[in-house]
Amino acid sequence: MNQGMKALVLGLALSAPLAVAGNGTTAEHIEAATAAYKQLAKDTGYQWTVTVKAIKAAQKALKEGDDAGARKLAHQAMDLVEATRKQAKIESETWQMRVPK
Amino acid sequence: MKTIIRNVAFGLLGASVAAASVAGPAEDRAAFQKFYENRFPDTPVDDFKNGVYSILPAAREQWESIEEFPPYELAIERGEEIYNKTFANGKSLKDCFGEDGAVRSEYPHWNKERGMVMTMELAVNECLEANGEKPLKYKKGAMADVTAYMSYNSRGQMVNVEIPADDPRALAAYENGKEHFYTKRGQLNFACADCHMHTAGMMYRADTTSPAFGHATSWPVFRSKWQAMGTLHRRFAGCHNNIRANPYKAQGEEYRNLEYFVTYMSNGLEFNGPAARK
Repeated sequence: MNQGMKALVLGLALSAPLAVAGNGTTAEHIEAATAAYKQLAKDTGYQWTVTVKAIKAAQKALKEGDDAGARKLAHQAMDLVEATRKQAKIESETWQMRVPK
Repeated sequence: MKTIIRNVAFGLLGASVAAASVAGPAEDRAAFQKFYENRFPDTPVDDFKNGVYSILPAAREQWESIEEFPPYELAIERGEEIYNKTFANGKSLKDCFGEDGAVRSEYPHWNKERGMVMTMELAVNECLEANGEKPLKYKKGAMADVTAYMSYNSRGQMVNVEIPADDPRALAAYENGKEHFYTKRGQLNFACADCHMHTAGMMYRADTTSPAFGHATSWPVFRSKWQAMGTLHRRFAGCHNNIRANPYKAQGEEYRNLEYFVTYMSNGLEFNGPAARK
């Protein structure tokens, strides 16, 4: 792959999350957070209660017509999913450090 | 010569790391129990079965006075009724667990035929269902009552969980429980070991955390916070909620394996359930 192509691929990869965060309806953002949450649980077994609360709060806000608030909560839920994924990865590599020898 | 010494040294280092990484259940248990003996040198080993009261003299006196008129007494009576109740088919729990249900020390155990950890609560429900009766809910109510009766009749039996060497699936279940115990989870980023091992005896808000050594001996318990009886898996779920992690299903594989690990860690202590706890 030449340098120009590499730069293009890198640019697309970096801009993709921004595009997802900025485009689509709020309902789609909530749906994306819900799907990410479920996939994470399937992949790692890790689930945080606060993520479910954020998703439910987003659904409620949308139902009550607060589109901006609902979108913010959906993004918050997505951030929590990402933090959970990082925790799962770190723990899979470090939990044995806590075992007494 | 220097090269040989260096290679030997590296070899020894590698061997010790390898030995550490392949420590089996017996080595794990010895290190686990030693940890608590060192941390709480004033606590006699056989007293760890009393949970936080084994390390908290100030609360012990109050707890001992509670135990004089124990709040789980009514649960034992209700449990006895359930235990002796005749099923529609004419049988009862006695047909599965004997005259008085004193089988606490038989659980949890590895069931080789089914390739899974069996717990007492699961066995009770399987007995009910095999006889055409409805299963009980696993966290509280009738299940806590009937296991309170069975545990009461089992008092004094010793914890002696085995990890059969001839079935690698048993070791895998143990390892799964062990990993769960030492792994941080939830938004608050806590492992079971954080509260109940590395900071056992310290204060979290108004409460002192109990040592995990002895955790599995006293179930079910009457917990003041609940104002009711509850099973070990109810407590597991409560802990997970506290750290903002979604609890697993009571009597699901994750919690059964965790019970297998924590009970094995308490081998050598007495079963003393039911009990009263804060």
